[in-house]
Amino acid sequence: MAEIRVEYVVGADTTDVAVRRPKSIARRGLLVVILIVVLGLPLARFIGPYNYVLQIGMILLMWVALSSSWNIVGGYAGYISLGHNVFFGVGAYFTAMIFAYLRVSPFVSAVAAGVFAVLVGLLFGLITLRAHGPSFIIATIALSLLMLNFFDNWDAAGGSSGIGYPLPPFPIEWVKVPFYYGIALCAIGAVYLSYRIAHSKFGLGLRALSQDETKAEVAGINTRLYKVMAFAASGFFIGIAGSLFGYSLTYFRPVTFFQIAIAAQMVLSSIIGGRATVAGPVIGAILIAAVNELSVVMFGATALNIVVIGGILLIVLLFFPQGIVGSLREAGRLPAFLDWD
Amino acid sequence: MTPLLQLQDLTAGYGAGPDILNTINLTIESGRSYCIIGPNGAGKSTLLKVVCGILKPRAGEVLFRGNPVGGLRPDQLLGTGICYVPQERTVFPAMNVRENLIMGAYSVRNRATVQERMARVLEMFPILEERTNQLAGTLSGGEQQMVTLGRALMVNPVLLMIDEPSLGLAPQVADQIFATIGDLGRLDITVLLVEQNAHKGLQCADWGIVLDLGTTRFEGPADGLLQDPRIRDLYLGTRRGEVKEADR
Amino acid sequence: MTDFMQVLILGLLLGGVYALMASGLTLLFGVMRVVNLAHAAFMILAAYIAFFAFELLGVDPLLSILIAMPIMFVLGIVIYALLFRRIEGTPRYVEMTVLLTFGLALVVEGMLTFFFTGIFRSTGPSYARQSFFFGEFFVPKGQLLALGVSIALLSALWAFLTFTKPGTAVRATMQNRTAAEIVGVNVRRISAMSFGIGMALAGAAGSLLSFLFPFFPSRHWQWVAILLSLIVLGGMGSLKGAVIGALILAVASALMTHRFGPSWSPITFYVALFLVLMVRPQGLFGKVVRI
Repeated sequence: MAEIRVEYVVGADTTDVAVRRPKSIARRGLLVVILIVVLGLPLARFIGPYNYVLQIGMILLMWVALSSSWNIVGGYAGYISLGHNVFFGVGAYFTAMIFAYLRVSPFVSAVAAGVFAVLVGLLFGLITLRAHGPSFIIATIALSLLMLNFFDNWDAAGGSSGIGYPLPPFPIEWVKVPFYYGIALCAIGAVYLSYRIAHSKFGLGLRALSQDETKAEVAGINTRLYKVMAFAASGFFIGIAGSLFGYSLTYFRPVTFFQIAIAAQMVLSSIIGGRATVAGPVIGAILIAAVNELSVVMFGATALNIVVIGGILLIVLLFFPQGIVGSLREAGRLPAFLDWD
Repeated sequence: MTPLLQLQDLTAGYGAGPDILNTINLTIESGRSYCIIGPNGAGKSTLLKVVCGILKPRAGEVLFRGNPVGGLRPDQLLGTGICYVPQERTVFPAMNVRENLIMGAYSVRNRATVQERMARVLEMFPILEERTNQLAGTLSGGEQQMVTLGRALMVNPVLLMIDEPSLGLAPQVADQIFATIGDLGRLDITVLLVEQNAHKGLQCADWGIVLDLGTTRFEGPADGLLQDPRIRDLYLGTRRGEVKEADR
Repeated sequence: MTDFMQVLILGLLLGGVYALMASGLTLLFGVMRVVNLAHAAFMILAAYIAFFAFELLGVDPLLSILIAMPIMFVLGIVIYALLFRRIEGTPRYVEMTVLLTFGLALVVEGMLTFFFTGIFRSTGPSYARQSFFFGEFFVPKGQLLALGVSIALLSALWAFLTFTKPGTAVRATMQNRTAAEIVGVNVRRISAMSFGIGMALAGAAGSLLSFLFPFFPSRHWQWVAILLSLIVLGGMGSLKGAVIGALILAVASALMTHRFGPSWSPITFYVALFLVLMVRPQGLFGKVVRI
């Protein structure tokens, strides 16, 4: 018989009672299975569309990393950023230029790209997080457009013609594998980061300020610091993912990364999965990315894509604002294996 | 004679939060002025908001002159003669005093009536007469309160509900406001006042109602409540043994 | 010096049109606290209407305004009823409006791209290529006409808001929604009407846009960022601010373009946006509101 332990979690201005189920075997089991599948996929060298399957897997995992990271700012802190693709692009360009000028492989400089993205996040965070609510959102859009404009005009980065890599030095049958693993590690890292933040004092502070920033400040939380840290931290794995993804494309232009559809998908994935939860962005990311790929296969890469994203966003916002995980939890029907909080 | 206003087992709250008003029952007779006192969170403001239509009741009935009005919109209730002066200073800051008063008569069609009533209101509030062209946003707290009161009078309300008029006002200014409210009885307006300053509130009303935890605790003639030792101890903040609170 | 004057003239001409574009946006925010990220997408929709009216029916874009405005007015009311009425009063309302309009913008952009592709379009009435000459200065005819239309529409808006009863109700709702409610304004109806008006203004702006700039569906993001920077500078919710912000930034951007080249034009707006947010978030005429 499962024991229910009651812990008192002191919130910003109230005393919350958080009831935690002990980690059920089902959940642990599922996580292990997932890890095995994710990490073991490339080892199952089967006949058929091997590279394609790895490519799809990589895309799905990449969106898991992107959404989980976005969730730190957009979910936990409650600050909706519509320009988070900035980190994605900055990471990609960082490694591309390091490679172009210093011949260092992205697999080596990827982590540095992540760190660079964090620094960029600190800078941008300090600027944009002075604004509240809608002003912040507007600032992030402007940021994204600014970066697009900037890279389009920066000749050292190739300008609007883009920048490229030579083909990766791996044998063609295994060429997807290193990318896959790189992104997979990113995804695992991002989800783990999300989990750790959610269960930390930092995360509690973020949640407090997302509910009522004034009260959180009055309760002694340095909201400015927390917000900026969340913004910067969210950039890390996005930057790494950007650098690896850019390499996997072999060639890209500013619009590849700085287009609003990417930011939109990050936002939608988190919202549809359930903001401010750990499992939500993961589920949402996989769902949306899969739907996307499916519609490309069935209808070709048309503009109907963004119609679908926009439409789903509207429906979710109007009828299921808590997302899948949030709505299930509210109805009391969240299965234990989805409850990663 | 049907009472002017009746609340029957009224329950209400905000958003997804708990019930603030808890099956409250209240009867307001026309011609009297009422003051509702009680601690914070008792539901005093909530009560007014339900009656004037800003907040929808969760259960129970609101009857105005015997007709159910619970759930109607504020502009519909205005038509029946229920007028509300909220806690926050709700002047139109970028309009001057005159325009504010005219806005008060937004629901009145006859222009002559509007002019007539404005003249009367300016007579009641000579300070506003001096400042008819001043932007309402630049007025002092007390003057803004007078604008909101005057604005409410522009529709010749039957029931005038005023939420904490003295909030944020210096004592002297608050006294002026209370004096004006006390005079409203002469205009055949039933006044329902909510006040934190229980002393002053009860002094300018006929009947007092004590609200706590969403229901009525005590009711009675206002001066009776002022003297009642139980009420004094619980809600008026006087110490036992003191002969009488000096008025300020 | 003449160079400078010329640039100034061009900037002011443009500013007048930007003012029209921004006025609808700031009206929506002032009345209903809606940040309409889809505003420019609808402008571009109207531009397409004008384009096809011109190509297929020979209707002059300036006349298309008469077609676009009623269509967009009705569309605005429908959108308000379907999307915004149900979220009124919910927590984090303003944030929700941003997300909703974001989704709306994506839908509109996607549909436009699907039906009309991403080719650069532009209507080509004769005046779009002509100019008036005043001494050493030239004034593009199209822009002058557009400015005239803007002034006319903004004046009509001003007159509506100042002299009519519903217009006064709109102003009252913008200043204090609760107060408007308690004096008997049906704020729901006023909100719907304001939404319609805001969209109608976007419709008119779109018709003008069709011959002033080349357009394609995904262009609206750049426009929306520009418009947002204008109203943030002017103060969100202030019509006066929108006009003044538009003039200031249009001239500034024209000067920057003159000095540093056309790619700097949008950057001026973004930089201005960040500066305003950092230094004086409420802009010139906005209220200090902690949303």
